[in-house]
Amino acid sequence: MHSIVVDEFRNYYSQLGSKDLEVTDLACRELAFLQFGEQMMIRHTRFLDEVSLRDHLIHKTPAHLYYSSAYYKEPQAPDMNRKGWLGADLVFDVDADHIPTTCKADHDRWRCLECGSEGAGFPPESCLSCGRKRIETTTWVCEKCLDVTKNEVLKLLDEYLIPDFGISLNDVEICFSGHRGYHLHVLTESLRGLASDGRREIADYVRGIGLDQRLHGFMVLNRNGPLIGPDIRDGGWRGRIARSIYAYISRCNVEDLRAVVGSGSAADTICRNKDRILGGITKSPPSWVGLRGVGIERLNRIAGASIKDILCNIDERVTLDTKRLIRYPNSLHGKSGLKASRITYNDLEKFDPLRDAVAFKDGEIKVYVREAPRVRIGNHEIGPLKNVEVVVPKALGIYLICKGAAEPRS
Amino acid sequence: MLTREDLAKYPFLRKASSFIEGYGLTLRDLAAPEYSGIVRRAVERVRDSIEGRRIVTDWKDPETEILAYPLALAFAYGLKAGWVIRRFATAESKRCYELLKMEDGQRLIEVAEDGFGWRLEQNDVNVEGRRFDFALGVTEYLEVAPQFHSANWKLVNRYLLRGRVHLKQSEVARLLSESVKNKIVKRAAAEEVRRFEVPEAFGLYLEEVRRLVEKKGRFYDEEAPVGLVEEAKPPCIMAIISDLAAGKSLSHMARFTITTFMINVGENVDNVLKLFRSVADFDEGKARYQIEHIAGRIGSRTKYAPPKCDVLRSFGLCVGVNALCERVRHPLQYYKIRAREIARGAVRARGGRKVA
Repeated sequence: MHSIVVDEFRNYYSQLGSKDLEVTDLACRELAFLQFGEQMMIRHTRFLDEVSLRDHLIHKTPAHLYYSSAYYKEPQAPDMNRKGWLGADLVFDVDADHIPTTCKADHDRWRCLECGSEGAGFPPESCLSCGRKRIETTTWVCEKCLDVTKNEVLKLLDEYLIPDFGISLNDVEICFSGHRGYHLHVLTESLRGLASDGRREIADYVRGIGLDQRLHGFMVLNRNGPLIGPDIRDGGWRGRIARSIYAYISRCNVEDLRAVVGSGSAADTICRNKDRILGGITKSPPSWVGLRGVGIERLNRIAGASIKDILCNIDERVTLDTKRLIRYPNSLHGKSGLKASRITYNDLEKFDPLRDAVAFKDGEIKVYVREAPRVRIGNHEIGPLKNVEVVVPKALGIYLICKGAAEPRS
Repeated sequence: MLTREDLAKYPFLRKASSFIEGYGLTLRDLAAPEYSGIVRRAVERVRDSIEGRRIVTDWKDPETEILAYPLALAFAYGLKAGWVIRRFATAESKRCYELLKMEDGQRLIEVAEDGFGWRLEQNDVNVEGRRFDFALGVTEYLEVAPQFHSANWKLVNRYLLRGRVHLKQSEVARLLSESVKNKIVKRAAAEEVRRFEVPEAFGLYLEEVRRLVEKKGRFYDEEAPVGLVEEAKPPCIMAIISDLAAGKSLSHMARFTITTFMINVGENVDNVLKLFRSVADFDEGKARYQIEHIAGRIGSRTKYAPPKCDVLRSFGLCVGVNALCERVRHPLQYYKIRAREIARGAVRARGGRKVA
């Protein structure tokens, strides 16, 4: 990597207070580094305090710094079975890489390493021409992607972790990933010992995997009796399903509904009686009688369609893993030069990663840009650019160099 | 307040251990003639569990019942057969379940607290005619519930509010009794339990049980059948194999599943490698390296097991279940049962041919 990037990273770490590097029980965590230009990660290291960690960062200046979600008796032991696992934070990873957004067509490209065909946007699972799976992607960050991921984090907290799981905001750490998403660390002590299968249940809960609407109150009493169901004021998935169905029926049109329930007459009935049905659902206790004729199977399908927007788009592998390595809070991301900033819940709403996670504030730099889409860092916006030399603010220049799209010019 | 009768019913409680400690007896002391009633009761509990008989709590004589439990546990561990420990644990769990279902609320809360440190609370939630009399902390719930398969136990299908899972009494009883089982089985792995030998002095008492273990052991031994039994593979594995044969590209998880499965049923690296030949991005060197790594031949030397049914379901690799699937929670468990059935001729392999 160009020495200017290493120098700037070093500068950043030397100006950092050791408090900025604080994490819970640092001495029980495994730390891992990836040096600039290296492929192999340096693993199984341990630091007793933040001061010695900062010294290391100044002297060795890695491109990436990770810490384990797990707490160990001996984090430095090279054999995973000898580390002595004591527990792990519950971690959620929300990343734009896993969420198809329309803006990806503007800034992401993929290329098949086998046959060379390429395209724009969200990469296909296998090459569209040859069907093989060795696909290389070039991804960029944009405001839209970042907004989508931020909303996922807010949804995860406001809709699930706080009301359903009773998790206190004091136990939650939110970090920008330094690139295209956010990490949410839940530090609640009683959750630390949770095994992977328990964590999977939590991941499935927020993703709605295995959800069976019939187990949340929908039933027909006595074969030909009335249809009963949950109350929109209920907590947990009960209320969530009821509210989602209410919202869905109030906004849907007859064509959408027909596609969901697979019956024209059922869709017509619902749309004709919309007001009466919605009125019944909001009553206390609720009356689902308006949907009685639709049948419980079709109601199930409506529920399935209506909850889509409320499911959390997380990378479940991270949540299931009890020994994950995760980017260290407030460290720099070697592929963007952005800071993996720690953000409070109250600041999250207005947090703008492309401004607030910028590590290099002053100065300008001349770079030669090979190819880049429209890019904004701070208040400065450029692109799309191809094969030009430009003078840009340092943060933007470093960003382009880290992304591999530019090189410094003197 | 937990009474002596409660301790006889639930001898896994901490209070039961302190009660026993009050006697100041060692295991060896119990071999003395004056305690023969206790030893006989302990032997009876182990024997009944091996034979699959229901264990009935005898609370007319709570002292004997309380003292016999740790001795029975010691015998179960001392017989040195995994299946004996599991049968004993299952029998204890069933016995407790029947009793816990009938307890009053306060008693249940005390048992949960003293036995497992669980925060169980009484509750008064009634929805659609179902009464949820209890609420349990979600962490405690997740210690046990992932072991159950039915959709009803999945967290996403529970009424979860502010970190508490709403439960019916029978469900609390089920969770607690499953914990009893887990506790017994888990302890078998501890160093001191693995090294434990039943003192000689109990030899005569145990003669009959030892014979029984030997006789039944031949049947229950967990030895995997020798050689690969094609027809014993579960539907999920068959689906991955047919995808492979069709040259479809597979997810990482599917590749990991098929490799670990084949290695664990005794297939060699070369044969596993052959499965991957038709895949578009096949790279023999890389594939061999990964298979050998998974088999524990190179790298960390850990031999990996295939993921269990729940995980396969989460990753969309479960292809719908058949009757046997509903009884198992792991593809290898399916394979073992089916292979054994086929070997015994209980189930004819497809095509009506018997596979030895």
